[in-house]
Amino acid sequence: MNTSSSDQHPKQKWEKDVEKTTERFPERKKAFHTSSEIPVERLYTPEQMDEDYIEEIGFPGQYPYTRGIQPTMYRSRYWTMRQYAGFGSAEETNERFRYLLKQGQTGLSVAFDLPTQIGYDSDDPMADGEVGKVGVAIDSLKDMEQLFDQIPLDKVSTSMTINAPASILLAMYIAVGEKQGVAPEKLTGTIQNDILKEYIARGTYIYPPKPSMRLITDIFGYCQEHLPKFNTISISGYHIREAGSTAVQEVAFTIANGMAYVDAAIEAGLEVDQFAPRLAFFFNAHNQFFEEAAKFRAARRMWAKIMKEHYGAENPKSWKLRFHTQTGGSTLTAQQPDNNIVRVTLQALAAVMGGTQSLHTNSRDEALALPTEDSARIALRTQQIIANESGVADTIDPLAGSYYVESLTDQIEKEANAYLDRIKEFGGAVQAVEEGYMQREIHKAAYDAQKRIESNEDIVVGMNEYKLEEEIHADLLRVDEALEQAQIKKTQDVRSSRDQESVNHCLKNLREAAKGKENVMPHIVAAVKVYATVGEIANVLREEFGEYTGM
Amino acid sequence: MRMKPIRVLIAKPGLDGHDRGALIIAQALRDHGMEVIYTGLRQSAVQIARAAIQEDVDVVGLSSLSGAHKSLFPKVVQALEEQGASDIPVVGGGVIPAEDIPFLEEKGVNKIFTSGSPTDAIALYIKQLLNKETIEAPKRIAHIGIAVESIDAALPFYQHNLHLELEAVEVVESEQVRVAFLKIGETMFELLEPLSDDSPIQSFLTKKGEGVHHIALEVDDLTKRLEQYKEQGVRLIHEQPKQGAHDSQIAFLHPKAANGVLFELCQHGEEE
Repeated sequence: MNTSSSDQHPKQKWEKDVEKTTERFPERKKAFHTSSEIPVERLYTPEQMDEDYIEEIGFPGQYPYTRGIQPTMYRSRYWTMRQYAGFGSAEETNERFRYLLKQGQTGLSVAFDLPTQIGYDSDDPMADGEVGKVGVAIDSLKDMEQLFDQIPLDKVSTSMTINAPASILLAMYIAVGEKQGVAPEKLTGTIQNDILKEYIARGTYIYPPKPSMRLITDIFGYCQEHLPKFNTISISGYHIREAGSTAVQEVAFTIANGMAYVDAAIEAGLEVDQFAPRLAFFFNAHNQFFEEAAKFRAARRMWAKIMKEHYGAENPKSWKLRFHTQTGGSTLTAQQPDNNIVRVTLQALAAVMGGTQSLHTNSRDEALALPTEDSARIALRTQQIIANESGVADTIDPLAGSYYVESLTDQIEKEANAYLDRIKEFGGAVQAVEEGYMQREIHKAAYDAQKRIESNEDIVVGMNEYKLEEEIHADLLRVDEALEQAQIKKTQDVRSSRDQESVNHCLKNLREAAKGKENVMPHIVAAVKVYATVGEIANVLREEFGEYTGM
Repeated sequence: MRMKPIRVLIAKPGLDGHDRGALIIAQALRDHGMEVIYTGLRQSAVQIARAAIQEDVDVVGLSSLSGAHKSLFPKVVQALEEQGASDIPVVGGGVIPAEDIPFLEEKGVNKIFTSGSPTDAIALYIKQLLNKETIEAPKRIAHIGIAVESIDAALPFYQHNLHLELEAVEVVESEQVRVAFLKIGETMFELLEPLSDDSPIQSFLTKKGEGVHHIALEVDDLTKRLEQYKEQGVRLIHEQPKQGAHDSQIAFLHPKAANGVLFELCQHGEEE
């Protein structure tokens, strides 16, 4: 079978694609070579390529994208180095962002505090003790304006780890853009917006699954029209893996969730090729180097086949699985934290071998607290060393053709497909989540892993073997406990100085839209512009949609 | 011995959604024969205290990875107190920097288990806590044992140069050893001289020559302590107390248990 639309041989098509791509994104160097002046080719392939090879592995930038989604991969541009950051107040986080941009980071990634992620204002009793702890506290547009102060939104792309209230934070981002004079269609970035994995693994849900899925498809619809360059969702295996899943489960459950979103959008009347190109993915990278690299290759091939063959998508952009990777937080140890730098390096290298589009490398102290500025810099430097010094980015998909890696890639695909069949028997991911199937599978894997560590069958260096007397780590980042009160005061000031009538009016319109079938997004955008808070907007939807109370 | 199984409430205070650790602890404690109730996510301090009372649990385990432990854990202790249940002990775990532990303990949290704590140690701690068998630190150094070829030859240094007072000299038949005690502050030196080639002191002298032989720690719960050490996998030379010098009960721990140091546990007078 010839997978290209023309009758060209895939190799010729790839060569043409390379020509086109390098016009827009020239390669980093005229010629690449090793230290011994051995030339490094763009791509290495077997002498003979049979049909099976073309169908399963093929060429970079071509279906089924096993070797990567771009024709030249990192020969033209490195992955985006995107460090997740955020703590305390909007001003403090803004400072960290500008520091990271100055250090050569190429995209922003916002961490929000838990009250924001669960739709509570800082003065809500539920927020007690949590304000600004794991990320930045955002209550009103005022906070968002400070967060992006002096950061031109037409020049950076921003990834926001926000799920249940994704529509509210996206609306605030649009509003900040407008204030800077940047039109919505110019905004680039990603909202996580993946509610299914919240029920499965991460826990920051608000509403029950059905209305949550509707919020997501409302965002798809709105962005298709107004923010064509924004990634509307980041379908996340990361947290599934952190909760204890295996690599196969991570791929399988993530793709199952992805299919649930596609199904929901189609059911809401959207056209697959209209929204699918804006779907993005987010994976984990753990320590088992070859399995991790193979996992990314397998995931790409699976998604391409599903989009093309199952959903009949015709736009190649709909077939491409684009993904962000973060190294594995749960693999880090509180003991001998400097060892974590080595773990992160291995994991980051696996992500690069797997063809990631962007990468966050964890800091060495994350098993103890939020990273200090020093630790965050070392983490970024780790990526920069891999990119600039190791030479691994000079040829495309260098692990391809390894008997071991190709076999692992096939095996992961096969086992993940077996999970997809089981989830289909439940009636899809939403039903499987509601019945707790994925949660149980993950918990079982997590418990088995813990037992293997405690019996020393699995060695974790510095933790159950090669131990040291532990020193106390005084040099940890502390969030100022006084911040909570200051943030509460700030939000109360916003409430007393805004036009309350406009707020009431906007919230009433939002309520009406939520009751019916109208897209809620335009109403949320209107509400944040008059400084309605995250909590106020989320509460209107709580009253209309109800709250999810867990299993 | 307790007849009823231990009941544990595992709770997630605050908004943190990471419950991998809480779920693993819950399962591990069940494997240890305990009855475990898990509250699920996002519980307020008052909800947790109420659940602890309604479920009639023996202990509450809190888990937090969001950095809010300094605010949330003491609130749970306080809520238990306000509802008249201050007898239910609280333990905690999660991402908790070591320097926060004294603060939390001062606020009434019994113990903090940080990342990397084996689940077996947590289960054992809970068992001991509820049986009121928590081991206290030994009270003092009872004596430092020094192996010598001949007490008579060694004594002049201690008596005339260090000016220490000779308290007693006696023979311990079971160990084939003659001992001399010299008082120094709250503790003593014990000079040990072998009485025959069968004496353990003689084999020490043959292998290593004269020098520090062991450190003896004063305890008041020797039998129980030996049982618990055994359960914890601490290597012992004596699993039962035996008669020692000075009208005491003694037992030796294996030097492999303590980085090459030979520790003796000794108890004077009646056991409590």
